Amino acid sequence: MSLYDPERDRVRLAGRWLRWSLGWVAVPAALGIFLSGNVDVHALPMLGPERETAVLFQDGQAYFGHLDDSGEGGTLVLRDAYYFADAKGAPTGLSVGLVKRGAEAHAPADGMRINRDRVLALEQVGPNSSVAVAIQAERDIDHETASALSLNRISVGGTQVLMLQRTAAEHDIQRGYAAATDQLAKLNDLVLPVTKAEAQAISQKAIADLQAVRRNALAALAIVLGANANDAQAYANATDAILESQTLPNEPAVLLAPDLNSVVSRATQLYTQVGDVYAKQLTQPKTASPSPSPTPAPSARP
Amino acid sequence: MTRIRVALARAAAWIRTHRFALRSSAVAIAVFLVAFFFTQWWDFTLPSLGRADFQAVFLANGQTYFGRYYDRVGAYVKIEDVYYLQDVPGADASQPSGTKLVRRGKELHAPGSRMLVPRSAILFVEDLSDSSPIAQFMKQDRR
Repeated sequence: MSLYDPERDRVRLAGRWLRWSLGWVAVPAALGIFLSGNVDVHALPMLGPERETAVLFQDGQAYFGHLDDSGEGGTLVLRDAYYFADAKGAPTGLSVGLVKRGAEAHAPADGMRINRDRVLALEQVGPNSSVAVAIQAERDIDHETASALSLNRISVGGTQVLMLQRTAAEHDIQRGYAAATDQLAKLNDLVLPVTKAEAQAISQKAIADLQAVRRNALAALAIVLGANANDAQAYANATDAILESQTLPNEPAVLLAPDLNSVVSRATQLYTQVGDVYAKQLTQPKTASPSPSPTPAPSARP
Repeated sequence: MTRIRVALARAAAWIRTHRFALRSSAVAIAVFLVAFFFTQWWDFTLPSLGRADFQAVFLANGQTYFGRYYDRVGAYVKIEDVYYLQDVPGADASQPSGTKLVRRGKELHAPGSRMLVPRSAILFVEDLSDSSPIAQFMKQDRR
């Protein structure tokens, strides 16, 4: 009779434990570490707010969106991307404006693949920050809805957010108008090569044109916010009258949603163009109207 | 009543038959959860002994960030409680401009205290000595 009992064989027992540990301990541990490294628990559905990441580039550009950095290659993927565009001198009071990626001349599709070697830093965007609020307002304007099944559910701004954004845009349009009329008034204080009456006539026409730009900007604002053409015109007339009598105090600057920002930027461009045209008329001496040259009289040939 | 007893007996028998698989599954779930939350806490940072409280991180684009620098497994390092130097223009044109130390977080995107920086964007990292005015400012500011 053999004394060997396979159930007590230490080597067999160790092998059995090793096989068990591999399947029931090592694999779940590796899975837990992998998932934890790639998933943010605060961004799981129903567990936390949306996770927006700021991608800061080495050349100073900043992009915001949903970052996918799970790939092991050297590329990051940024979806639903927004970025800062230069807006120095804009009536918003900020040196940058927010732009949604996709409206460029080459109409890029969603999903920027970014070379990690060009990235300076990654930061999480604060859920109540100006950037996050402007993005939420833009989604509301675009009628985007949050999907319940998404791992990083988007936040959409409510009526309150949109109202604040609309008011800020109205004030920015008015600030641009005020700056243009101030510029005109300063020009009128100078010694001009035109007569006082001519200067007054030019200035009145300039102000009428600037008011038309303001009214059109307000109508464009209403259309962006979903009004039809008639409602937009009625809103523009009513708001124009209110803004005309309003002096705006120093208010904190608001970062506008891209669609609202483009309306304000366009209005600012037009204010500048109108101002330049009338400044030219005010500062350039009127050239005497060319007098008809005497018609040469037929002279008898010698 | 008899039906319930029969069902309970069957359930108990099933548990007895599959007790090994059930126990193993429970262990696997526990291991998964421990690994998951440990990694969240750990954040892949590598221990570094004898380092100073704060570091200066010099970046490839010429910027410098100050804060708590952590080396991590993978492509990124981590800086927490980040500060940077900001130019302050003089009160008028005749006065020279200066610099001030600003805590990161009040920018338009209100970033959190954790910043991930790709290794490729870093030139070098230096510890700040205890007598460093920047380190002292950061220590006081955190209180």
